[in-house]
Amino acid sequence: MTNNNHDATSISATESVVSESETIESGASNTVVKKHTRRDLIKKSLTLGAAAGGSLLGSRALASIPDPLITEVQNWNRYLGEGVDARPYGSPSQFESDAVRRDVAWLTADPKSSVNFTPLHKLEGIITPNGLCFERHHGGIAEIAPQDHRLMINGLVDTPLVFTMEDLKRFPRHNQVYFLECAANTGMEWRGSQLNGCQFTHGMVHNVMYTGIKLKDVLAEAGVQLKGKWLLPEGADPSHMTRSIPIEKAMDDCMLVFAMNGEALRPEQGYPLRLVVPGWEGNMWVKWLRRIEVGDQPWHQREETSKYTDLLADGRARRFTWTMDVKSVITNPSPQAPITHGRGRTVLSGLAWSGHGHVKGVDVSVDGGRNWHKARIDGPSLSKSVHRFYYEFDWDGSELFLQSRAIDEKRHIQPTKNALREARGENSIYHNNGIQTWHIRPDGSAENVEIS
Amino acid sequence: MQTNTATLNLLLLFVGLSLNAASVNAEESKAEKGKAVFAQCAGCHMVGPDAEHRFGPTLNGITGKPIASAEGYDYSEVFKTAASDGMAWSVETLDDFLKAPMEYLPGTKMAYPGLADESARANVISYLATFDAEVLIAESKVEESNVAEPAVKEKAPVILAKDVEVPTHGVLHLGRAAHVEEISAWDIDIRPDGTGLPEGGGLATDGAEIYDAQCASCHGVFGEGEGRWPILAGGFDTLTDDRPEKTIGSYWPYLSTVYDYVRRAMPFGNARSLSDDDVYALTAYLLYLNDLVDEDFELTSANFASIKLPNEDNFISDSRIEEPTFVSEGEPCMTDCIAGLAQVVQRARVLDVTPDTEDDEAGAGLD
Ligand code: HEC
Ligand code: HEC
Repeated sequence: MTNNNHDATSISATESVVSESETIESGASNTVVKKHTRRDLIKKSLTLGAAAGGSLLGSRALASIPDPLITEVQNWNRYLGEGVDARPYGSPSQFESDAVRRDVAWLTADPKSSVNFTPLHKLEGIITPNGLCFERHHGGIAEIAPQDHRLMINGLVDTPLVFTMEDLKRFPRHNQVYFLECAANTGMEWRGSQLNGCQFTHGMVHNVMYTGIKLKDVLAEAGVQLKGKWLLPEGADPSHMTRSIPIEKAMDDCMLVFAMNGEALRPEQGYPLRLVVPGWEGNMWVKWLRRIEVGDQPWHQREETSKYTDLLADGRARRFTWTMDVKSVITNPSPQAPITHGRGRTVLSGLAWSGHGHVKGVDVSVDGGRNWHKARIDGPSLSKSVHRFYYEFDWDGSELFLQSRAIDEKRHIQPTKNALREARGENSIYHNNGIQTWHIRPDGSAENVEIS
Repeated sequence: MQTNTATLNLLLLFVGLSLNAASVNAEESKAEKGKAVFAQCAGCHMVGPDAEHRFGPTLNGITGKPIASAEGYDYSEVFKTAASDGMAWSVETLDDFLKAPMEYLPGTKMAYPGLADESARANVISYLATFDAEVLIAESKVEESNVAEPAVKEKAPVILAKDVEVPTHGVLHLGRAAHVEEISAWDIDIRPDGTGLPEGGGLATDGAEIYDAQCASCHGVFGEGEGRWPILAGGFDTLTDDRPEKTIGSYWPYLSTVYDYVRRAMPFGNARSLSDDDVYALTAYLLYLNDLVDEDFELTSANFASIKLPNEDNFISDSRIEEPTFVSEGEPCMTDCIAGLAQVVQRARVLDVTPDTEDDEAGAGLD
């Protein structure tokens, strides 16, 4: 009877809440998976909990006997652990094995043109660990040896140029923290609450520190001609991803980066070279960047016509909707991270971000938007980076309707989902920055709901 | 007695030989046809002396070989299980597998709907039989041994940092001038006004053949999309519906995007394999599948820019800032903002979307 058992049990109780939405989803995609009802799950977590001395809320019972974890010598107190060579590239603790990216298999036809989601409910602070940054590929992960990679600048420039990675590292370097959000993040929620977990509703966002060079410095080498008003970055992967970007943005804050969070880019994030377009939709941050063309007009590529255009209720569609608007979400508690400690002191935490710059404030409501409280932003407040917020309160154990509402430096206020529906209809797919509601039940479990 | 047997043997040998010769010819033409079928597999599989594993394993010498036995390839669980059960590939098992891979071995990584046409299966199996694993290895060994011994390496001269040539362009003098050939190899983008189009053209009827061989397995014979693969045709007047169908005909604003995208990214798994004229033919056929041109239409670099897609005028620029939610004056309400208690009107678990309602969020919800 060691601590391990205890931990594993409380994890699986949480897991069972997650796996409910997953079973129902995959059950429908013909995979034979046992379907659980909510009651089964609660029963299951109760039994599991009982074994370890608690249900979802089990650990509440005040200890009546001395804790053997304290009174007895544990294995890890006595026996030597692994030496320094055992983990040349360290990994998270074995007890964190559920802090992983997850996908929703039936969303797409093929994993090579698909997406998975950042486990926001497992993260702290503002930086996303490299291995947890969500992935979106259109032709799988290109594996490119850095010495085989080239960047070409062509089009309306004085001297079309080719750079090696070594050349690029001779430009002045800069370090910046930026969020990257897919325009389709929360896109499944336009027609109502769908996916049960902030990983799935909001997990197409990550936030890392990039190291790289300024795009304008590279363009200056080639000499952009006066007529040059648009750029077309292109990837080296099999989708040869392309997007049109106005030159003003390039000259403002775009970067070409080769490192994230202090180490080389991960292959799934575009190793060895990625474009960074701060505050703008993730699709434009072309991975495996191999070419930038300068032109006098936009190209209207597939990802800015067929996709990433926002269909409105009247049948017209907006295009070039680049900026990611002000948005926030409560990550804890949330459906994958229920309250397990019962009433009393409770820490509510979440993330807020805006493509317009800094987040100026976050308000939190526990009664579904009737009354709001100012949340505390903690940690660095950087432009176009996620902000961490907290709201600490005493929970009386009654049901809650948790919401968060962010305000950015342009004083844009995060809208309700219904306000967005009124303005745009329900077929927009992209740019859903509406206020999210989690319903906390008296047993501490949480669910994605829409409320009146 | 002895002579008789000998004669018989000889006779049999003779008959056998000539039979063989005839069937060899038949096999050859089957294999020839199978080569065309293999275009559908080439995105994931390689064959031949230089074959390497791609998304799928190399298929050299597949007939007669145990399942899941290509070295260095990580097979799916179901393949590994079949291997430990001793399954091997014969003409029969290959035929069953290729008819519907995902039904024959549920859980396989081979995301390919299958070859419904029996003769197509027979032909591709014959084609695969022409790549014998042993022979190929032997051949490549011979080739290797024929390669002349490399001349004794001369010691590379030491270059001093001060002697390295520095270019004159730009501010920091980094990078080098691009060659014209390099630019034309990569610069393949096309604009709505036709800028960037290569010279040439193609008939919709030719496009139909390429489409059926290389696109229909995913996108459907009529562009209706198999399973969750993208739909390419139809959906007219659905943009204001509950479940709009956004296709080339119903949604895309410009034809240039079709040419550009098919040339740079399709067929999925074998990008940049189509010739410029193939892409003209396919683009013409996609117009035909969307009822926008006649069957015998020819699309060329000359008439390209004159073709307009029906939905072009329905695209507008970003006007989010004009929405009422963007009004940024004043402070947000903090107390008693909504009357009454909050009531749940929708729950995720009630609404967990099922992929059976095909077109909606499935796939489309993501991009
Ligand atoms: C979308 C990619 C894809 C396409 C297209 C595809 N395959 Fe496959 N194929 C695979 C993968 C992946 C495997 C490995 C299966 C596994 O591990 O589950 C495989 C396995 C096989 C095998 C068994 C190999 C072995 O070593 O046991 C054969 C035979 C085969 N494919 C033939 C074909 C033929 C013939 C075609 C075309 C008609 C084709 N495949 C099309 C991906 C593909
Ligand atoms: C193995 C399956 C497969 C085959 C074969 C295939 N495609 Fe695709 N096609 C896809 C996938 C997957 C996408 C979406 C890729 C992405 O997510 O970026 C796509 C996207 C497209 C699109 C854009 C659809 C949209 O709505 O934006 C077009 C056009 C297209 N394919 C044409 C073709 C043509 C023409 C061929 C034959 C030469 C072909 N495809 C062969 C899988 C396939």
